[in-house]
Amino acid sequence: MWANLWVVLLLAILGFLVIYPILMLLLGAFTDTNPVVDGIQLSHLSVTNFLVVLSNPNVAEALRNTMIVCGGGTAIAVAIGLLFSWIVVRTNTPFKGFIAAASILPLFAPPLVAGVAWAILGSPKTGLINTMFKWMGLDWRVDFYSLWGLVFVFGIYYAPYVYMFTASALRNMDPSLEEAAEISGASAFATLFSVTFPLIMPAIISGMLLSFIVMLGIYGIPAVLGSANNLAMLTTYIFKLTNWSPPLYNTAAAVAIILMVVTGALVFLQNKVISGRSYTTVAGKAFRPRSLDLGRWRWFTFALGIVYLLIVVVLPIFALIVAAFRKFMFIRDVSSLFDMRQYSMVHFDSIFDNPLTLRSIYNAVEVGVVTAVVGGVLAFAIGYTIHRTQVAGRRWIDLISTVPVAIPGLVVGVAYLWAWIGIPAGLYGTIWILALAFIARFMPDTVKALSTSFLQIHRELEEAAWVCGKGMFTTIRTIVLPLARPGVIASMTLLFVLAIRELGSSLFLYTSNTMVMSVLLLDYYEGGNLGKTAAFSLVQTVLLGVLIGGANWLSREATQSGVARTG
Amino acid sequence: MDRRNFTKLALAGIAGLVTAWTQPAQAQEIASPELIAAAKAEGKLVLYTANFAEVEQVVIKEFNKRFPEIKVEMVRAPGGQLITRVKTEAAAGKLIADIVDHSDRGLMLPLVDLFQDYAPPNAADYDPAALISPKLWPRLTAVWSIAYNTELVKDPPKTWMDLTKPQYDKQIGQVFAQSGGTTWTRIMFERQVLGEDYWAKQASTRPILYPSGAPMSDAMVRGEIGMGPLIYNAVYPKQKDGAPLKVVFPPEGVPANPYATGIPKTAKNVNAAKLYLNWCLSKEGQTFLIKEQGNLTSLKVVPVNPEGFDPKVVKVWYPNFDQYVKLHADWVAEWDKTFGYRQ
Repeated sequence: MWANLWVVLLLAILGFLVIYPILMLLLGAFTDTNPVVDGIQLSHLSVTNFLVVLSNPNVAEALRNTMIVCGGGTAIAVAIGLLFSWIVVRTNTPFKGFIAAASILPLFAPPLVAGVAWAILGSPKTGLINTMFKWMGLDWRVDFYSLWGLVFVFGIYYAPYVYMFTASALRNMDPSLEEAAEISGASAFATLFSVTFPLIMPAIISGMLLSFIVMLGIYGIPAVLGSANNLAMLTTYIFKLTNWSPPLYNTAAAVAIILMVVTGALVFLQNKVISGRSYTTVAGKAFRPRSLDLGRWRWFTFALGIVYLLIVVVLPIFALIVAAFRKFMFIRDVSSLFDMRQYSMVHFDSIFDNPLTLRSIYNAVEVGVVTAVVGGVLAFAIGYTIHRTQVAGRRWIDLISTVPVAIPGLVVGVAYLWAWIGIPAGLYGTIWILALAFIARFMPDTVKALSTSFLQIHRELEEAAWVCGKGMFTTIRTIVLPLARPGVIASMTLLFVLAIRELGSSLFLYTSNTMVMSVLLLDYYEGGNLGKTAAFSLVQTVLLGVLIGGANWLSREATQSGVARTG
Repeated sequence: MDRRNFTKLALAGIAGLVTAWTQPAQAQEIASPELIAAAKAEGKLVLYTANFAEVEQVVIKEFNKRFPEIKVEMVRAPGGQLITRVKTEAAAGKLIADIVDHSDRGLMLPLVDLFQDYAPPNAADYDPAALISPKLWPRLTAVWSIAYNTELVKDPPKTWMDLTKPQYDKQIGQVFAQSGGTTWTRIMFERQVLGEDYWAKQASTRPILYPSGAPMSDAMVRGEIGMGPLIYNAVYPKQKDGAPLKVVFPPEGVPANPYATGIPKTAKNVNAAKLYLNWCLSKEGQTFLIKEQGNLTSLKVVPVNPEGFDPKVVKVWYPNFDQYVKLHADWVAEWDKTFGYRQ
């Protein structure tokens, strides 16, 4: 009886957070009305929006650009992610810990910040890279305001998704198969491509699809780099539709559904690929991953790590610093770049002179904490129910909690607004509506992140507690929670970071006193002041760095005390 | 006391009296002491605006010099998003705004029933042509100019027709037609005043299109583009800070777009909202908006002109509001086609 009640409760929460807004989105896509303004009118249902959208050559073009950019970006991400996971896990490259850290750093850069930084660096007319080339007397020019520029930036920023999956797969792989290949006379290189990579194929495919899906939903990078040449992608196209006067939400909702279908198909494909075959390489015996002695080549792999760090961290931060401290971004040549009279604190003064700045930081942190705590608890409940119980209906819970992965944030913001504005308790205008939207939107990420830590805890431990007469909740409290704590803290940190970065779904939900950082950053960007945008980007980057560092330290503490307790 | 001293003393006395009279008189011009007291009791107001956040922040700061007790909370959104938000909030009975301030009068007109009766004390000083309803007031009147980067462009354009010259190929920036009321005013002007084929001629210089004037003015400062039509208030603050920008007001005329600003019936802080609008619409407020931000005004008697703007030379062009509403969809679609702007 209690189990049924529990399932009903979870399904009700998911219905409110996920199903109801999606129904609103579908309603928007199939009608020409605003469900809140005009009431829910099922008599107006039609597929006109879809026909309009599907017959529009510009949508086809946006879809094509999206596929090229996300496809190309994924290819680069896989190459980089795989290379670095191999370097970190399987070679004796010096300073591996440092390379490992560098490999996931881009995850923390909000896309709009990355876009702005690369516009400063890579603009064909005024970019710092071209200014440098000119100064060096080289005849090379780069143009990041192009499809290839987008492919490159997407590739380098989303490589960490591939890295995370493949690094853990390589770490958990039994090296005896590789040894067998080498004993049979295969070269190290041949072994890599005929044994190692095929064995971790599910991880490669998971990372690949995830990075592709994440790229599909990114707005900030194409918004900045694509606008000069009017390169539309689906996200920027949707944003434009909502931004025009008059706005075309219903069309935007229809385009969003197309994006959802593409994403949904990919998620389905991923599940199919992974579940179809057995890739068991983790056996019960103890082993150490082999470390390949690269000889002198290890300095080459080390240099690759440095180059990557330079490209994804050092150069963009340098660009942001220049823009943030420089009064005007008109840079005639290199000597003007280093002319210190051009630099001042004026942009920082002006952003902190604006009371909204501090408020937005405070609000963002508050929303982040609420999202992390409430979302973490909910994800724990869902993860536990899916992985540790046999209750009927858990498949549904699993399925519904995965759905938000496929919904682009820009349009779901409107759907949340439509769905939740009418709730009598007065959700609208508080930070809770933002937090709920983030919890719903990032539920798949959090549940997935938590699930791994559930899977690592052997059932015997729980069973032992039950045998000793402990109840379910006591068992969770005394056995599962302490053991899963590092995982729980890690997923809460992830949720916190994602909530602070999130832009798309915030745009319609914030009000005058719940303005958050990401929205204010877009405001600065749209307000046309690159200096302030860069200054605020730096503030945001430093803040995220400090918060993540703090969370990391916390979770390390937790891991240590956790280990102590199990020991 | 000789006569000269007496005159001096008398003049000083009169001057003192005049100052003593005019100060409360100026305050009266903005609001009655009762309204000011009621506004102070409310202590805050929520402003929804399509104006740029950082520009509006400066206006709020100036207002707060005069009325420091009233906190102005701002929600800034681009035109389309702002309208959707207002409509949705209003339908759900949760319109938070105490003031709605919008650049597209065409989008505001259908919402006029959401607004309460309001008129500033100096209502009679306003040009009735700038009002689409007695409830909605032209708080801002934005004016177009041609701006250019002085470091890059040595032979700047002087007229609108110059922007069709092949020598400026790929150097011109443009805000696309769909972006809002201000841009719509400009493209209407171009077609009605500069000629049916002006768009095509302009498009042949392959301009770079921007979603709004603010990022375009920033791109001009950086040198991504050399020149283009820009709202003066997107250029002027940068120019004042020393950016390498200059504007010309071309002799064929300059299109101007009055905003529509009103107080919703549901406003919680009505008195504070009235005080803010009264101040913005007063001679003092309009003077500030003109002098510090490069706007025009819809006051019949213009208190001051923005720097570089000579009303004797420059003709201001206002759109016919009927046409402004009726022509919008078709003309914007044609503009998109002419400029190859994908929608």
